[in-house]
Amino acid sequence: MENVLEQYAHLGILLIFAAIFPSLPLIASWAFFKFGLRPRMPNAVKSDTYECGVETEGPTWVQFNFRYYLVALIFVLFDVEVIFLFPLAVALDSVVVTGLVAALIFIAVLFLGLVYEWRRQALEWR
Amino acid sequence: MLNDVNLLGPELVLLVVGGFLLFADLFLKDRRILMGLTLAALLGSILYSAILLTEGHIGSQGFGGALVVDKFAVFFQILLAGAAMAAVLVSTETLQRTPSRRGEYLALILFSTAGLQLLAGSRDLIMVFIALELTSISQYILVGFHKDRWGSEGGLKYLLTGAVASAVLLYGMAILLGLTGSTNLSEIASYIAWQGAGKEEALMLAAVFLIAGFGFKAAVAPFQMWAPDAYTGAPTPIAAYLSVASKAAAFAILIRIFFEALGDDLLAEHWKTIFAALATLSMFVGNFFAIRQNNIKRMLAYSSVAQAGTLMIGLAAISADRGELLGASGILFYLAGYTVTNLAAFTVIILIANHNGGSYDIRSYAGLGKRAPWLSFVLAFALISLIGLPPTAVFFGKIYLFETAVQSGLAWLAVVGAVNTLISAAYYLRPVKAMFIDTVEDEDTQPEVARPSNSVLAAMGLVTAGVLVIGLHPGLLINAAEAAVAAIFS
Repeated sequence: MENVLEQYAHLGILLIFAAIFPSLPLIASWAFFKFGLRPRMPNAVKSDTYECGVETEGPTWVQFNFRYYLVALIFVLFDVEVIFLFPLAVALDSVVVTGLVAALIFIAVLFLGLVYEWRRQALEWR
Repeated sequence: MLNDVNLLGPELVLLVVGGFLLFADLFLKDRRILMGLTLAALLGSILYSAILLTEGHIGSQGFGGALVVDKFAVFFQILLAGAAMAAVLVSTETLQRTPSRRGEYLALILFSTAGLQLLAGSRDLIMVFIALELTSISQYILVGFHKDRWGSEGGLKYLLTGAVASAVLLYGMAILLGLTGSTNLSEIASYIAWQGAGKEEALMLAAVFLIAGFGFKAAVAPFQMWAPDAYTGAPTPIAAYLSVASKAAAFAILIRIFFEALGDDLLAEHWKTIFAALATLSMFVGNFFAIRQNNIKRMLAYSSVAQAGTLMIGLAAISADRGELLGASGILFYLAGYTVTNLAAFTVIILIANHNGGSYDIRSYAGLGKRAPWLSFVLAFALISLIGLPPTAVFFGKIYLFETAVQSGLAWLAVVGAVNTLISAAYYLRPVKAMFIDTVEDEDTQPEVARPSNSVLAAMGLVTAGVLVIGLHPGLLINAAEAAVAAIFS
């Protein structure tokens, strides 16, 4: 039990460092400004959004088309569901008929889902 | 394999009919039969459970020990299907508001019920999680079913906090699997019995995560913040359903996991204290917040938090007195009594709101005792019963739980429960006072309370019969609860 806790203690030390490193410069910057050691001279280029050195293009608050949301959601759904078929394919020689029937039922349910989306007009690009 | 499917029957009936209802929405023009179909499915599920009970399937396990049909599971299957029936019957007004999504609404209720039933019969952590997600996801959608402002807010809050609770729960399960090398409850139990010594801290860490996850479902403080908003935003029949069914299934699985898998004295001594603390906190938080509510749905939401605390007394008191199983059977008894009583209260509230311009404000109940004496009487009876005054179902349940607490050396918890019973009277009696003592000045212009529809009357008959049977003849239910609990400890 102690062994496990000791191992986590190492992680805890890392965590403390991880907190100190980013916060130290910020605190220092703020403190230098407080004591008048750091000038404050903002200009347009300086307060621009930082995008890896490339100049930013267009406004930050771009509106995405809401239609993407539905298509992406349906894609993720089917994508994840198909993953469930992989373990079955690997173990097919040991599960044989029952496994195959179960997989077919699973695919049938997926198909019904597709029909449902289709009839609900989720697949139309409106 | 076929036998496994047979054991899954009560849930499967609901799932298949639910799937059909979804498609009926798309292809059928006349959607009036859908409600009858839903009720038939729930009735079929109850019958299937009863057949499994009588045809000698009791104690048989399916799907590699992941599913069990014992009296405990059947008790909850019937209770949950019954609660769902009442919720469907009072949904007529909700369904009229959204005629094109009628099948969706009913299908989601069926899916959710199937998930809760599955939860009561799960003996494997993976099964528990799948069942919980099946019911939770259906409930998230149902809470936000009216896509209005309150519905969306309640639904989103429920979804976000619920997702976090699921993650916490899964983390607890993962720790348990990592420690014991199994997800099967009896294998976990035997591991703890043989090799658990010295690993108490890690096992308790898993237990705490599990308590947090299921505590969220049961709306126990401090995991209750979703309840008031979800109840207010949800269609009222769904609020009624959430307040009883969700809670019942959460306690079913808490009893199952903590007594079957983590029931070893090694751990029980520790989690007993956690449950006692949660019970105390939940009762005080629920009751104190309920006093300040003007919306009767919010009031009942906080009251359900307090009731969950009372139920938790049974979990805290159980381990000290293993031989008699009193705590667990007390929970089952109290749950059944609370379910019928709370459903009765909600049924009347729905009826009143239908003719009150959809208002749930307690102040708008003024003078209702004159305009609708019968409705007011039923609501008053249900609320007084929820306080726990004799000779009602909740009264016997409270006596049962408090006595168990005293017997297992937790007399202070019984005292806390009794004090909270007094506090709860303050808000349960407010609508009663409004209905019978307060008067309104323009008596004639108040809207007439019309005769309720047949289905609502049926729901009222169902729950009132439940209240009366349990209140007048509690022995029946006590026997059933004790038989159900004996299945877990055998």
